Amino acid sequence: MITRPGFALLAAVCVAISTPVIAAAADPFNELAEKTNRKMVKLFGAGGFSRLNNYGTGIIISPDGHVLTVASQLLDTSELVVHLYDGQRLRAQVLAIEPELDAAIVKIRVDGKKIEEPTGLDLEYFDVNELAKRPHAEPGDWVLALTNTFEIALRDEPLSLQRGVVMAYTKLAGRRGVFDFPYTGDVYVVDAITNNPGAAGGALIDRKGNLLGVIGREIKNSLSDTWMNYAIPLSSKVDLKIKETVKDKNGKDIEEEKTVTITMPDFVTKGMKGEYRAVKRDNRTTGIGGYHGIIFVPNVLERTPAYVEDVVPDSPAAKAGFRPDDLVSFVDGDPIASINTLIDWMKKNTRPGQVIRVEVRRGEALQTLELTLGSYPSQPTAPEPAPMPKTP
Amino acid sequence: MIHTLASAFSRLRFVVMAAIPLALFSGLAIRESMAVPVEIEKPVLDAQSQRIAAIKKVHPAVVAVCMQGGQGVGSGVIISPEGYALTNFHVVQPTGPLMQAGLADGVLYDAVVVGLDKVGDVALIKLLPKEKGKPFPFVKLGDSDKVRIGDWSLAMGNPFSLAMDFTPTVTYGVISGTNRYQPPEGKGLLEYTDCIQIETSINPGNSGGPLFNMNGELIGINGRGSFEKRGRVNSGVGYAISINQIKNFLGHLYAGIDTDHATLGAAVGTASEDAPLSQMVVRQVLEGSDAERRGIQEGDQLLNFAGRSVSSTNQYKNVLGIFPKEWRVPVTVRRNNDRYETLVRLMGNIATEKESPTGQPQPAPRPVAPKGPAPKAGNPEAAKLYIPKKGYGNWYFNQLERDKVLTAAKAHGDFTTAPGSWVAQGKYEVGERKGDMRFEITEGKDADAIINLKLNIDHKLAPLKETDARLQIEPIGSGGLMMALYHWHRFLTKGASGFEGNFSHGGNEPFYPYPADGSTPKSLASLRQDCSVIRTKHGSTECKWYYSMQDHKLLGFETQVTKDDDPCEVYFSDYKAVDGKQLPHRIEVRFKDKRYALLTIDKYTLGQK
Repeated sequence: MITRPGFALLAAVCVAISTPVIAAAADPFNELAEKTNRKMVKLFGAGGFSRLNNYGTGIIISPDGHVLTVASQLLDTSELVVHLYDGQRLRAQVLAIEPELDAAIVKIRVDGKKIEEPTGLDLEYFDVNELAKRPHAEPGDWVLALTNTFEIALRDEPLSLQRGVVMAYTKLAGRRGVFDFPYTGDVYVVDAITNNPGAAGGALIDRKGNLLGVIGREIKNSLSDTWMNYAIPLSSKVDLKIKETVKDKNGKDIEEEKTVTITMPDFVTKGMKGEYRAVKRDNRTTGIGGYHGIIFVPNVLERTPAYVEDVVPDSPAAKAGFRPDDLVSFVDGDPIASINTLIDWMKKNTRPGQVIRVEVRRGEALQTLELTLGSYPSQPTAPEPAPMPKTP
Repeated sequence: MIHTLASAFSRLRFVVMAAIPLALFSGLAIRESMAVPVEIEKPVLDAQSQRIAAIKKVHPAVVAVCMQGGQGVGSGVIISPEGYALTNFHVVQPTGPLMQAGLADGVLYDAVVVGLDKVGDVALIKLLPKEKGKPFPFVKLGDSDKVRIGDWSLAMGNPFSLAMDFTPTVTYGVISGTNRYQPPEGKGLLEYTDCIQIETSINPGNSGGPLFNMNGELIGINGRGSFEKRGRVNSGVGYAISINQIKNFLGHLYAGIDTDHATLGAAVGTASEDAPLSQMVVRQVLEGSDAERRGIQEGDQLLNFAGRSVSSTNQYKNVLGIFPKEWRVPVTVRRNNDRYETLVRLMGNIATEKESPTGQPQPAPRPVAPKGPAPKAGNPEAAKLYIPKKGYGNWYFNQLERDKVLTAAKAHGDFTTAPGSWVAQGKYEVGERKGDMRFEITEGKDADAIINLKLNIDHKLAPLKETDARLQIEPIGSGGLMMALYHWHRFLTKGASGFEGNFSHGGNEPFYPYPADGSTPKSLASLRQDCSVIRTKHGSTECKWYYSMQDHKLLGFETQVTKDDDPCEVYFSDYKAVDGKQLPHRIEVRFKDKRYALLTIDKYTLGQK
């Protein structure tokens, strides 16, 4: 019974171990790291406050200096800068962003050249379209990650190398803060701790140096609430349901549901040419909203009433005088039927600093509380202990 | 965010528990593999046996550093059969000078702090053998400059104080980066320069433990990691202090010194943060620093520092950070398209200077030696090996190392039997002038010492009576040759009893004797000879005596007559026996980057007792 997994593991270990051996003389990891590092950039942009890093990683995908990275807040600046492997510091500009793939295309700029002109850089690069056609790596395969994790490397310092094994090739179910992560397609889940601050946009490569995927942002697995180590594969695609207004046969406007497929190769091809048009969709990516500090009762039902279970000490809600057992009934006049309604309302309508009027039912009476929303706390919550193992 | 890996056990029980099933599982896998006939490629098996052999070879020398009583605080590794072991400074901080150290044999040994490097986060401790003279298992030091990204590595130690019997935990992974810079963790201490970045798992309790290459050679001391949201356990990014940096400090550490890192004596920064390519430029030169006296100027482009090219801030901090203060290193700068190379004496890092280069006085971080609880009477033998003294991790070991050097040097001649006046006759060369030379050193009674030196003219100095600095540094242009000769005689004939101000081991330093044939050296770096240094002070005159680490011959010395100027440098060669004692017959005197004189001696006459 146990023989099989044992065998499989052994096989994996064999594959793994053969590398250092043959390596004794040739040391392929070193060459691989060196070779890959030349096709990577350190990326610097917006951020630098409340746990948002102003540094990241990018993968060069054309000799002319197109860079593939993740669609993070880092890009939200006109002062984007890259450091090439040789220490050159150059400006860069965003060409395309696709949140559904959590991907972005950035182009390196050379002084005196227009964005659409060739840069003349002639960089070493990864051919995403060719590489995306390759079969994806399988669980048990060895992989290497190159990232600028923790901003350890600047200028010509090489990126950090990590080595791991593909644990799974599966659909991503992640969340970032309180939000579901927009990308829900396939990912490589790896056993190395690859997704640290600054690592997003890094390269996951196989032992031959082929690019497999883009190291993703730091997110938690929404099922297990643990930090994930994953990369979005080059062949990734997502099916997006959108509503389009079309004329019916009577010439009336009607809404029709339609499925649009977005693929990484398509995004990259069009994005590099500046021709990528993001699909119009529902305004899913609203802001994070303001922070109140109310802890609700467990949200187990579709329509769990918004009962206050507790209030975070010193939070806006604590200051506004919320108490356990209060039932949130109206916010700024809008009826609140459930916890979910309130969460949506907050995301759509609020931001830090805003004052909202909340009517709560306390006992038999309705009370009106003025709540001045804050920003989400920047301090990380204490790491949760690993579950106790079941000893055999 | 970067933190050291000192143990914080209370919160870590969960993690410890999590680690166990992993170990069980891998154990299971191996056992199962035995049962299944699988063809395994030879290279795989070879790699496995190499790995097992490496672990087997080094694991007896891995130390679990403990408080008195056995509570684990970190790890370490033995590097000599006498039981000297490296660990982190932040590991011995909580233990104080006396601690215990468990080895893989399950035995808990008493140990004592020897030397400290607070800025570099290194400490040398010594384990006491259970039987006198019984050698300890120890590991070989590797060459961390040869470590490359992607190399395999083994980290060992006692994470989470898991092993109650001190058997080290082994983790295996690749090198993620080399020559990494990680800034100090508060007050200028625990700065990791030129360090090795690893994905090899290190956790609280691994601090101070060894990082090995696959030959079982020590390439680093694990000490800290980058942590953020995932908590203070391995997050895939750990750092080890490179062993080559530690080698530079090892002489100081063995000599029980509380050592300090260095600054150039000039503020150096990038020419422009935004420039396409980075350049390092001297922004300001500290007044009175050696860098200033060597002619380094504001605006000079720094090209090369101690043999490494420097083009970015991290590179500069990396190379600067690996040297102890007062080392002389070759520095190359460019000014108006001219390259200029010079030897700069580095200044201390822990601020003792009155002014910082920016002109704004900054609070001087003054760490104290780890006092801890007063040595407990756990083992009176261990307590005997600890003598506190300002500036030292443990003065006992300074005396020990100092006397070792002096005893070894006695093989070349014991001069305590020749305390009378010394006369030397021969030739001199000073610039273009040449002629007969004679010097006579007479100790006399009390302060009656007299030096007579005849070059082109006669010079005379009463070294212990003369207080005029201008006369003390005669002959003019020598920096104080007569004073130097007097101290040489005093040092050789009187030893410790002649120096009430200081008589200590000064650690190891490079020494740069010019070619004996007078030819121009290819590079300053090519002159380097590694020496043990003895430091002396009598009156206000300080000397540093440079003994070759190869044969313990005195290669030369420096005499600092006035504090704010360069020392008189004296280089010895052409050693020949005089009355059965080896004496130099060629003496080169240098001052301020120039040769002042060359003395060739035909005949010494040593006064007997």
